Amino acid sequence: MKLPLSWLGEFVTLEADGEELCRRLTVAGLEVEAVEHLKPAFLDVYTAEVRAVERHPNADRLSVCDVDAGVAGRYRVVCGAPNVRAGMKAALARVGARLAAGAHGSGSGRIEEAPPLEAAVIRGVRSEGMLCSELELALSKDHEGILELPADTPPGVALSEVLGLPDTVLDIAITPNRGDCLSVYGLAREVAALFDAPLRQPHFLELEAAPAGSERDRVRVRIEAPELCPRYAALPMSGISIRPSPIWLRRRLELCGMRGLNNVVDITNYVMLELGQPLHAFDASQIREREIVVRRAERDSAFTTLDGVERRLNASDLVIADRERVLAIAGVMGGRNSEVSETTTAIILESAYFEPASIARTARRLGLRSESSYRFERGIDRAGQANALRRAAELVQQLAGGRVAAPLVDLEPRPAAERRITVDLGGVAAALGTRLPDEEIKRRLRAVGVTVTLLDPNRIEAVPPSFRPDLNETADLVEEVARLKGLSEIPAELPVRRAGVLPPNRDRALARKLRDLLTGCGLVEARTLAFVAPEDNRHFPSLQASRPLVVTNPLSSELSEMRASLLPGLLGALRFNLNREASAVHLFEIGKVFGEMDEGARESARVAGVSFGDYAYGGIGQAPIKSGFFTVKGILEACLSALLPQGAVSYEPIESPQAPYLHPGRAATIKCGGELIGLVGELHPAEALRLEISAPCSLFELDVTLLAVHSSKLYHTIVPPPRFPAVRRDVALVVNKTLAAGEVLKAFWTGNAPMLESVELFDVFEGGNLGDEKKSVAVACRYRSADRTLTDEEVNRTHTGLVDQVARKLGASLRS
Amino acid sequence: MKAQLEEIRTRALGELSDEADEAQIEAVRVRVLGRSGELTEIMRRMREVPPAEKPLVGRLVNEIKNEVEARIAQLVEHRRREALSRSLAEARLDVTLPGLRMPRGWSHPLTQTRERMLEIFEAMGFEVVETQDLEDDFHNFGALNFPPDHPAREMQDTFFLPGGMLLRTHTSNGQIRVMERRSPPLAIVCPGNCYRRDELSVRASPMFSQIEGFMVDRAGVISMAHLKGVIAEFLRAFFGPDTGVRFRASFFPFTEPSAEVDISCLLCKGAGCRVCKQSGWTEILGSGMIHPNVLRAVGYDPMQYAGFAFGMGIERTSLLKLGVDDMRLFFENDLRFLAQFRAGEAAS
Repeated sequence: MKLPLSWLGEFVTLEADGEELCRRLTVAGLEVEAVEHLKPAFLDVYTAEVRAVERHPNADRLSVCDVDAGVAGRYRVVCGAPNVRAGMKAALARVGARLAAGAHGSGSGRIEEAPPLEAAVIRGVRSEGMLCSELELALSKDHEGILELPADTPPGVALSEVLGLPDTVLDIAITPNRGDCLSVYGLAREVAALFDAPLRQPHFLELEAAPAGSERDRVRVRIEAPELCPRYAALPMSGISIRPSPIWLRRRLELCGMRGLNNVVDITNYVMLELGQPLHAFDASQIREREIVVRRAERDSAFTTLDGVERRLNASDLVIADRERVLAIAGVMGGRNSEVSETTTAIILESAYFEPASIARTARRLGLRSESSYRFERGIDRAGQANALRRAAELVQQLAGGRVAAPLVDLEPRPAAERRITVDLGGVAAALGTRLPDEEIKRRLRAVGVTVTLLDPNRIEAVPPSFRPDLNETADLVEEVARLKGLSEIPAELPVRRAGVLPPNRDRALARKLRDLLTGCGLVEARTLAFVAPEDNRHFPSLQASRPLVVTNPLSSELSEMRASLLPGLLGALRFNLNREASAVHLFEIGKVFGEMDEGARESARVAGVSFGDYAYGGIGQAPIKSGFFTVKGILEACLSALLPQGAVSYEPIESPQAPYLHPGRAATIKCGGELIGLVGELHPAEALRLEISAPCSLFELDVTLLAVHSSKLYHTIVPPPRFPAVRRDVALVVNKTLAAGEVLKAFWTGNAPMLESVELFDVFEGGNLGDEKKSVAVACRYRSADRTLTDEEVNRTHTGLVDQVARKLGASLRS
Repeated sequence: MKAQLEEIRTRALGELSDEADEAQIEAVRVRVLGRSGELTEIMRRMREVPPAEKPLVGRLVNEIKNEVEARIAQLVEHRRREALSRSLAEARLDVTLPGLRMPRGWSHPLTQTRERMLEIFEAMGFEVVETQDLEDDFHNFGALNFPPDHPAREMQDTFFLPGGMLLRTHTSNGQIRVMERRSPPLAIVCPGNCYRRDELSVRASPMFSQIEGFMVDRAGVISMAHLKGVIAEFLRAFFGPDTGVRFRASFFPFTEPSAEVDISCLLCKGAGCRVCKQSGWTEILGSGMIHPNVLRAVGYDPMQYAGFAFGMGIERTSLLKLGVDDMRLFFENDLRFLAQFRAGEAAS
């Protein structure tokens, strides 16, 4: 809401300066977002009367004018404006005046740079000044003709004074609960309350009970939808002459961001800006039988609004109609058919209260948000309808020569519910955390229009004013008191702490541990958007069977689904960095993924990583270690060894449909206690090609929820270190090339050798004299007993027995 | 025999000169001290020595033996030292060459900021509870006292999902989720991602993160003064002890009274600059006393209980603290940006 201080000054006089006003408004909940200091964009321009106008002897379109600027002198001025006429009041720039906008708007806009106006000889006639257009005075873009000042303007007065310049305009953010502040008077009321200053009322025309005028001028109103229109007032006026509004009125509209149109329409807007009550003026001659019907629109009907657009209406829309046709969409926009035009001589002014939710729905559906609908939506004064009409009537009489033609019609089929709030004064103190004198509480509430009655020493009854629909219970009144007093006056205190220990948050602890482990392994944490393209979800399906979760109203097709995996986002981040000359990218992310299951939309936590390019450096002269399958597997082994019970994790070759994005020969499922908890592998070359990733890239993704379940089983039984030495025996087995090394180890573990303490793989060899079908797998077995030193003989016996078992089981032979 | 011994001594010590190499030393050792060396030979011939001289000769043999052994030990030690200093010189490294580069990563600046914030709240006795991103209308709007026609419930602001679900637009759903299943006293912070229909731009992102905090206790025990105390305490811990904190009245559907909280502009320290639009203040979070309707929605009697709540954006707070002004930086994952946080800079 734009607030010109010159306008505010009509209702309240402040001793505080502008800065203090802004500060107090801001902390009281009316945030001043911008302050505009308006200065005249001209110097030495005076009001003047055009005494005589003669045709220029040498030019048809020019006039030579005799201009009387009173004490500022009398001049001969050549003027090209079509609207110049004898007797009009205009703005005269004398020789020496400065116009920031320049003649014809060609200037720089900076008054310091504007050259002084010089006398000019135009087609042989000397001109001693210039009659200015609004454009030249930087008042508007209008350059159709010269500015016409009201007829009662005295000549010889500085134009800036007539225009109320300099002025300051505040731009105030109005929160949705404060519809009452969407007007100059409403803000003045607030300022008066904040500064304890007296508030002056605007001038309302006294309406005679039975004004002159015939029965013919009367208007009738029928409200068929009281649930959407609890109150409707109408005032017929006649004898109107439509013309442009005076400059001061148009100025004020423009300062508040509206444009002038004609006097009647401008007055309705002016009163709306002043009092917050939207008004509408109908051309009375267009209303059949002079009967206004307030009703719901017919289903799927068409109506052409003022802006010439045809709108489709339905039964939830409220319209203003006559007996035959719709005249306006209530509270939103008037219609073409009853618009005030240059030929209008009689009008009906409408002032109503429409239900906020209904106006909001209609305006939103039609995409028609007007100054009027905005105010109805936020809730206007429930009782301000008649006063607004009286104010408008006053102005119409003054500025459009009209008179009230028939009595005011004011229907209220549904009076406002009475609000009485019982306030416990002790409760106010408790809520604020500070004891205020009862008198102060009452004074603050009265300052914003609340009627306060003392019920007993501890309780008051508060009746909020009609313009504050937001005050409904004690908490609302507590806010008023706190706000007006200033929140800075409330002490800041720390609550008393309970000494209890907070319950552990295991999910958070796990996420933190994961983050520490992965960063310790060289991965940098990334953060990617949870929105992906359908293609991403198709290529990177969820670890668990679920359908993609589709957003009903996405921003774009590229962001139309919720991610089923963190991998597309991480690969996007990888590509972003590769396009910026990165050669090593190792990223991870911990986040949520989404999917649709039969029971509805689901979210679950994941951790994923991508690794590309050089992983570790062996120092000067050494080749760097390139990231590959075993890098990422190594990272996972390191991390999972810190999270899951020892020996619980297994890596098994992947089955191809499981993860189409992984290289089928270089990928593994990760299982814990037999349950699938994640995948690790190299990106499928076809996928790399599609994503334009040039070199092998390795990935993993783990289900954090399952990780949490299994990591909760992590416990340690601490044993002392062994007291007797271990004995190591190595053996190399020749097996089929296709046999996984893991199977060899498994065969040793499952063999019958209780003394076997560990078995580790230390070499895999292919080629040589082994042929194409075979490979050699070398393992080291360690044997130990807890209660004695083993003899060579018994170790040899056990080892040979075990190797025989394994060889038989795997069809392996011993490598000599 | 004495003369013979003197000769052995002279010859041996002569040969064990400072320049003697290892072979020469070994030769002397074997010849003089060896099992069939010269001194052993003398000892074997002791029978031939007259008894009176025997002690004298014996002493002399020992003396020579000790002397030669000592000299050999001295020379060996000397050689070893020489060899060591030679090898030390050869093993000299250029210590200005870089060390092995150990892989090391670090967390995202938003994580660093969030963890720092949560750490402060935990130290103040708040419990961290994470709640869901997929929400229903009731927990995201209705229970938080949003009127049925509130614009936030419209398609242009909120992402909707099938089955009447939506993506939460704030972490305030945490208030409802926690209060529904627990009873006061509560002191909770809920971090998490939120979603609003804004294009990713310098100013906004369709996904962002917030921390919601709230405290509920018996009415009369908890007041607006505590809201001010807790928030100011947090902001000074996070932004520094000299941070100015200002509360100004505002409006949120789920709090009454409501207050926006400003901190003194981090750039100009309150003097007024372009960033703070000359006001000297920067908006940092929204707060207020929990609205009675919110308490009613979770089945708490507003006459019995009271509480305060606050919420702040992690991205926005990070941008302010880091002095950068592009939201997209957080989601692009440009390593040249992320690398600046390798020492946890966003949490310092």
